[in-house]
Amino acid sequence: MPQVNRNSEAIAKANLLKYKKGEQIIKQGDYGISIYIILKGKVEVFRESEGKEVSLAMLGPGDTIGEMTFLNKRAEVRSASARALEGSELEVWHPSILAKKYEEVPPVLKMMIDQALGRLTKMNSLLDRLNLSLLEAQEKTESKIEKTESRSFYRKAVDVECVYVPAKQGNGFKGTLPGRIKNLSMTGFRMEIPSKNLSFAPHDVGDSLQIDVVLPNQKPLKAKGKVVSLNRENGRILLGLSFLDLPEHYRKTLWFFMLPT
Amino acid sequence: MAIDPRLQEFIVNEQLYLDGTVIVEEGSSGNWVFVVLEGSARIKKKTEKGQITLDVLGEGDIFGEMEFLEGAKRPRTTSLVASGDAWLGILDVDRLVKDYQMVSSKLRILIRSLMAKYKETTAKLCARVAAPSD
Repeated sequence: MPQVNRNSEAIAKANLLKYKKGEQIIKQGDYGISIYIILKGKVEVFRESEGKEVSLAMLGPGDTIGEMTFLNKRAEVRSASARALEGSELEVWHPSILAKKYEEVPPVLKMMIDQALGRLTKMNSLLDRLNLSLLEAQEKTESKIEKTESRSFYRKAVDVECVYVPAKQGNGFKGTLPGRIKNLSMTGFRMEIPSKNLSFAPHDVGDSLQIDVVLPNQKPLKAKGKVVSLNRENGRILLGLSFLDLPEHYRKTLWFFMLPT
Repeated sequence: MAIDPRLQEFIVNEQLYLDGTVIVEEGSSGNWVFVVLEGSARIKKKTEKGQITLDVLGEGDIFGEMEFLEGAKRPRTTSLVASGDAWLGILDVDRLVKDYQMVSSKLRILIRSLMAKYKETTAKLCARVAAPSD
């Protein structure tokens, strides 16, 4: 029988994520190809279908999320959601490291994995249908744990030049202003600007700005952000912004940029 | 569909099973991995409402991969029954084990996790089917 040998490859730069009870880890339909391994806690995997939730699995330490997507056709959209049922700790693996290793798997083993995967997918969709009809029959008598829509996203430190156009422009000024994006998350970003920018246009909380930046991975990102905070330090202004209706393709750019490395 | 030559290379024995023959019995021990060469076979599992068919295998399909990939010596979780006369090939498990040892440890974690889900889904499916339906 196969044995796990201990001379495992060096652990790559680990990304540890902590989730509170009820917090969502991945969402069905999101772009995402990272693989998570649960180190601590309890995680529920569920499918959302026609507005109803169907629980697929309860996972604990040692279990993984996203391995099906990875082992499958390397799809890039999540087929199910996952949330923490208690305070949980997860490690994220970037799939590209594993993809190389997967290429090296002997072909017959790959066939066996495909066989198992195919059967599991079949059984899952059958279970989905059975569960849905059951749910419809009994409606809700369940005492579910408190759910939150909040999700933790990685915040990635960057330092790139950008230009932006304030929505409100004053003093006869028309044009772009310079700034530096300091970090990014799926929901927003921080931008440092010279204080003289304030004399050209208001940057008050609630004002919106149109930014234009090329991310360190050379992908362009154009997005609208709303100012949520403004801090002054040493003649510089630090703005906190949240994205306003990010177009789908930029959302995807951002997802891939945010993958742990 | 012809059998993949890379798979063919692993076949150490071939066997004919007549229609209805139980090739593998749920609960029995054994670590053979089979491939259907001709005909078909059903994967069955016991539930409170009798046996149900989980999958029907045809030419080129593999059986026994789940126990193998899980890596632990445990009784068979499902039965395999010939559906019509069926030719089955038996794969060289020692060679598969050697191959498996070359797989990176992270991938093995993923594979084991996949097998755990497989088992959980099978159990849930059986429970659902056995549940009173009205």
